[in-house]
Amino acid sequence: MNRMPSPEPMPLCQLPAGATGRVCSLTGDIHFCQRVREMGFGESSCVTKVSGTTTILCQVSGTRIALSHAAASHILVEPLVQK
Amino acid sequence: MALPTHISSGPPASPSRQPVYALVGNPNCGKSTLFNALTGLKQKVGNYPGVTVEKKVGTAYSQHGQPITVIDLPGTYSLAARSPDEAVTRDVLLGRRADTSTPDRILCIVDATNLERNLYLVHQVLDLGRPVILVLNMMDLAARAGLNVRAARLEKELGIPVIACEAVHGRGLIELKLAMSRPDLPLARHAWDIPAAIAPAVGELQASLIAHDRKAPLLARAEALLLLTDQDSVRVAGSSPLSSRTAELLRAWQERWSAAGTDWAGTLVSSRYDAIGQIAAQVVLRDGTVGPSASDRIDSVATHPFWGWAVLGTVMTLLFLSIFTLAEGPMNWIDAHIASLADAVKTALPPGDLRDLITDGAIAGVGGVIIFLPQILILFFFIGLLESTGYMARAAFIMDRLMSRVGLNGKSFIPMLSSYACAIPGIMATRTIEDPKDRLVTILVAPLMSCSARLPVYLLMIAALVPGDRVPLPTKVGIMILMYALGTFGAFFFAWLFKRTLLKGAPPLMIMELPPYRLPRLKDVAQHMVERGWLFVRRAGTVILGISIILWFLSAYPKAPEGTPPTQQLAQSFAGQAGHALEPLIKPIGFDWQIGIGLITSFAAREVFVSTMSVVFNVETTDDDTTPLRQALLAAKWPDGRPLFTPLVCFTLMIFYVFAMQCMSTIAVVKRETNGWKWPIFQTCYMTGTAWILSFVVYQSGRALGF
Repeated sequence: MNRMPSPEPMPLCQLPAGATGRVCSLTGDIHFCQRVREMGFGESSCVTKVSGTTTILCQVSGTRIALSHAAASHILVEPLVQK
Repeated sequence: MALPTHISSGPPASPSRQPVYALVGNPNCGKSTLFNALTGLKQKVGNYPGVTVEKKVGTAYSQHGQPITVIDLPGTYSLAARSPDEAVTRDVLLGRRADTSTPDRILCIVDATNLERNLYLVHQVLDLGRPVILVLNMMDLAARAGLNVRAARLEKELGIPVIACEAVHGRGLIELKLAMSRPDLPLARHAWDIPAAIAPAVGELQASLIAHDRKAPLLARAEALLLLTDQDSVRVAGSSPLSSRTAELLRAWQERWSAAGTDWAGTLVSSRYDAIGQIAAQVVLRDGTVGPSASDRIDSVATHPFWGWAVLGTVMTLLFLSIFTLAEGPMNWIDAHIASLADAVKTALPPGDLRDLITDGAIAGVGGVIIFLPQILILFFFIGLLESTGYMARAAFIMDRLMSRVGLNGKSFIPMLSSYACAIPGIMATRTIEDPKDRLVTILVAPLMSCSARLPVYLLMIAALVPGDRVPLPTKVGIMILMYALGTFGAFFFAWLFKRTLLKGAPPLMIMELPPYRLPRLKDVAQHMVERGWLFVRRAGTVILGISIILWFLSAYPKAPEGTPPTQQLAQSFAGQAGHALEPLIKPIGFDWQIGIGLITSFAAREVFVSTMSVVFNVETTDDDTTPLRQALLAAKWPDGRPLFTPLVCFTLMIFYVFAMQCMSTIAVVKRETNGWKWPIFQTCYMTGTAWILSFVVYQSGRALGF
């Protein structure tokens, strides 16, 4: 599987269900950013959005994580195109 | 800055003291299962005074039969604690707790299916400079997920013992106990290089912590790293505030980095993850051909925007349906035995105060409550099933949308769900909530969720409201669901209100892990159910028995002249006088002085209302046969002959119990958790005030509509 990064970063909440993105930056409250990093959402980690529009369900390194919409909007990802 | 390289640590400092192991790990990695497997039946569960979540201390035995103390600590993702429960773990490991022995050694348990994320905490624990044994748990699940986690390779990379384990099946325990028995354990080899931009600060802070804060050298280094991981140094320092010199030094470094645009906190985390990534690449081999897991398939339904709600609704309906249907046989059995016991006492003893005390006080009071034991057991069995399968977190996920509307998040829903069983563990569970205001709001509304102690009141009132077999089961289940829904929506309403008035704050950003589904371990569920059931029986045998005896005395004395009707006797008794004093306040909501006695006594615990009714209405009867309580209630009348327990009054009484704060134990726990009387007093007033107002509205509206 070959993945090519797309140039357009978007908030995780806008990533389509089933798509995978690479975290490129975290915004907002610094304590939230730090906790998110410690839970494996650090910059350059890959995240797959499973489902959800208001509360988001995603998969990060084998773990299923639920994020509120506001939390997901602070995680900017660049979608990875699967070829 | 390197950790000490591969040296061995000897046994604990004092040879006479039994070694102390701390058990740490991420949430949901199987810590408690391992703790129970290690300590067997000898573990004790204890609350530590004044602080955070429950932690467990138990005794395990090494392969050579030597006792070992094991402390099971709350799960955490990082030693940079954000919530009160995580602070317990940090403080015990850093030796800050006066009431807990500083652990000699640490058992780090990790979930093998998610090694990288779990190794982050391990990495921080290795910084503490204590001997660590790494337990690779859930190896079976990792294999099923197509992961080959090579324990030997990990051991070589970290330089500490690594034990592959399946705690749930007891596999790997012998190897673990052998490792725990070793007199000397190797310390971890050099784990990572602190980034060059941060390293000088770590060195200076470590030196200052040793010189000015009297920290041991290795702990000082770990504390320095924590101060540089969490931006809130006051939170990191916890109960041992930093010296002014160290605080000043930290501030100077932070200002220097801010001026240079260095994201120091992020850099440390990224650097650790880089080191962990390199280890994981050596240790974990992935089989890319494995498809979606069973958890994925279940989640596609259980967390679906529509089907998720349908599943939640079905689960709740099944719960209440089984409470009514499955419990009927055992309840009839208990009822029959209580009645025959009372009749046997009445036959054996001559008429008099002693006989009345035993039959009308003790047996009627305790029996009136104990009859609900089967239904309590079913409730706890279902809650145990939900907890052990992993569905609780999914329920919180589904509820998050609703919770966010009231200004809380799904994380607050887990304590609220636990409160369906009992508000006390629910309030304790709020310690996992990071934001203090959100935690307080959750504490304030959690007792509105209908707990198991309300169940006997609801069941008695439903029996009186819809007597006999005329009313179909769905109506009874429907009324029960309505009561639970009222409490839940009440909790949401007050959370919304408090978040907009008293405890204003931005909606919290929720991030919550959903554990994989697991088959419930029926043995554990049954054990939990029996423990909770036993607590209920014990309370019936102690508090409720005591109150019933006192109440009987208060209702039997002062004695009226010979020949006075029983109703007159009760009315002029001490209990009757108290009920009469309360009556002006409760008459507008349809309750008389006899119900008033129940409201007063059930302030101790809600189910005492049922035992009180048993005592009050048994005192009134003149016949020698024991009358079922439901019939006694239906026969009760106002002085003008109107029936007392009309369907409207029964319904109003249920509404009152949904909202009123009738539990001394909950008040005591809220006082402890909020460090003062302000919030428990506020909570009691707002809940009981709401109960009265709603009861008034329901009763008066019902009367106006002709009910």
